[in-house]
Amino acid sequence: MIRVAAVGDVHMDADVLGRYRPALEELPDRADVLLLAGDLTRHGTVGEARCVANEFGDLGVPVVAVLGNHDHHSDEADTVVAVLRDAGVTVLEGAGIVVECGAERLGVAGTKGFGGGFAGRCASAFGEREIKQFVRHTEESAHRLGVALRGLDCDVRVALTHYAPVPDTLVGEPPEIYPFLGSYLLGEAIDSAPTDLAVHGHAHFGSERGRTPGGVRVRNVAHPVIRQAYSVFHLGTSSEDSVPVASTTEGYP
Amino acid sequence: MTPEPGKPQGTYDEAALQRLLTEDAGLAEQGIEVTRRDGAVVLTGCVETEERRVQVAERVAECLPGDEVRNDIVVVPVQPPGEPEAIP
Repeated sequence: MIRVAAVGDVHMDADVLGRYRPALEELPDRADVLLLAGDLTRHGTVGEARCVANEFGDLGVPVVAVLGNHDHHSDEADTVVAVLRDAGVTVLEGAGIVVECGAERLGVAGTKGFGGGFAGRCASAFGEREIKQFVRHTEESAHRLGVALRGLDCDVRVALTHYAPVPDTLVGEPPEIYPFLGSYLLGEAIDSAPTDLAVHGHAHFGSERGRTPGGVRVRNVAHPVIRQAYSVFHLGTSSEDSVPVASTTEGYP
Repeated sequence: MTPEPGKPQGTYDEAALQRLLTEDAGLAEQGIEVTRRDGAVVLTGCVETEERRVQVAERVAECLPGDEVRNDIVVVPVQPPGEPEAIP
């Protein structure tokens, strides 16, 4: 069994420092790895990234993250990633990592993702340059996610995104804004591999559980949705004790 | 965001206010809903700290002088997780 903890949308700044630490101190007893589903910061500044590093660094388990839209707001994403890396956080963008958990290997492929909407009500790459760029950003993100997922050599496979891959976990949000909350292309990418679980954030008013058309379980772990420091998922059936070690990584481009 | 003389009121103000809560450099809150109920402006949603909860309400009050602002925003709890979920 592999134990995966996950939370998104923690929106760190100096005023949040220390809030998560009491629950995080119990993390090694509860999970083999922590996934952060984007929107780690409030405005995407280097100072806020340092707050993330302080809060989620040195936890005793590997931490794997994707960025969210907030983390891009100050146009300093590369520096934000560098700060997180220095703290030992692996940041994925169209890439994957395999974490050895005892005798089992957990593969995580991640991307921020983007919007566009869901089947039958989605944007198309047609018309103005701006709308084509919007849709193509999602297409490229989903393509890289699919390649990364299929390329993982692992026993258990998890997809990590910020934007939602299915509309199920958006229930509670106004339907008018679904195209800004996710894209079916991410779900299609997740279904292109034998994925065991997909986690995402971004939809604060959404709901916790859904499935892709291919049957993959999807969990919205946005902090306002789970209303706890993190959620924990037990994947697989082996009860062997695990000592997690991040063994292979691909970095942020 | 103070309404200008002659400017249409109502939904335009609320739309601008919703954007302001996200775009204001000090706030960056996308998870706040602004509605009108019984003549008052009602704020709902979640934030990470009490400081942010108060900041949002103060900013809204600045933008809508004379309106009653009801702050129903909550601070998201950070307690340790409940039971894990088994994913077969």
